[in-house]
Amino acid sequence: MAVDFDRSIIGSEFDHTVFAPVTKEAIVEYARTSGEPAPNDVTAPPTFVVRLRGHRWMPENLPKNLGRAGFDAGKDIEFGAPVRVGDVLTAVSTVHDIYEKTGRTGSMAFVVLRTLVTNQRDEHVAIIDQKMMFR
Amino acid sequence: MHVRFEEVDVGHDLHTLSLTLSGEQVKAYAVAARMPGARFMSDAEARAEGLPGQIVPGNMSLALFSRVIAESFPGATLKKLSATFRGLVHPGRPFVVHGVVTEKHRTDHGDLVECDLVLESSEGDRWVTGTATVQFRPRT
Repeated sequence: MAVDFDRSIIGSEFDHTVFAPVTKEAIVEYARTSGEPAPNDVTAPPTFVVRLRGHRWMPENLPKNLGRAGFDAGKDIEFGAPVRVGDVLTAVSTVHDIYEKTGRTGSMAFVVLRTLVTNQRDEHVAIIDQKMMFR
Repeated sequence: MHVRFEEVDVGHDLHTLSLTLSGEQVKAYAVAARMPGARFMSDAEARAEGLPGQIVPGNMSLALFSRVIAESFPGATLKKLSATFRGLVHPGRPFVVHGVVTEKHRTDHGDLVECDLVLESSEGDRWVTGTATVQFRPRT
């Protein structure tokens, strides 16, 4: 499988969402159900940021020849400022990369979606790279 | 009690979690994490999607990795976390999450410790692998 596509899609933005202020209830519930300790009642555990789902979670203009619907192959997160109660978070998602790989079971295409999360002070909160696999 | 950078050695084993998640726990996490996929809700809904049964969201595995780091290095700050989802994790099946310190270095950005992490079945099948970078408090 050769993935032939217009590389101008790389770097293109497909979602920009401003979320409602973070509540104490959301932090407490996330920590309770994940088992991930929160530093205190007003600061979220690090992986709370994965909870931010924008209006669109996949770009509409992905190449059509990637293969069967993708599944979550992995995630890389770089953490910045902690998330606190009352924070207004903004998530901007782009197509970061598309590449092919050949493994024991054949060739696969990977799409890396990058989400930059900032808070109301324009501080960097997280960079989340989500790797979707198509085959 | 905080762990000091000087007390951490390469090869140091991280805290080990031994768990069996219930279907209800997985569903509760998926709701709290705003992951509405039917595959996370019940066996019946997952089977309707062609899966063998309900699955644990990859994000929940990330949270378990973060928990291992927090319990191993109280007071330190998680700076980076990566996970590769290699196999499906299902509720009702026992697994362990563990890790090891692979590197430590002093940088202009603080004292950093690198770790490898694994979530594996009791038979040793590696369902999720990952890495973490942990920052210790600046020296005073």
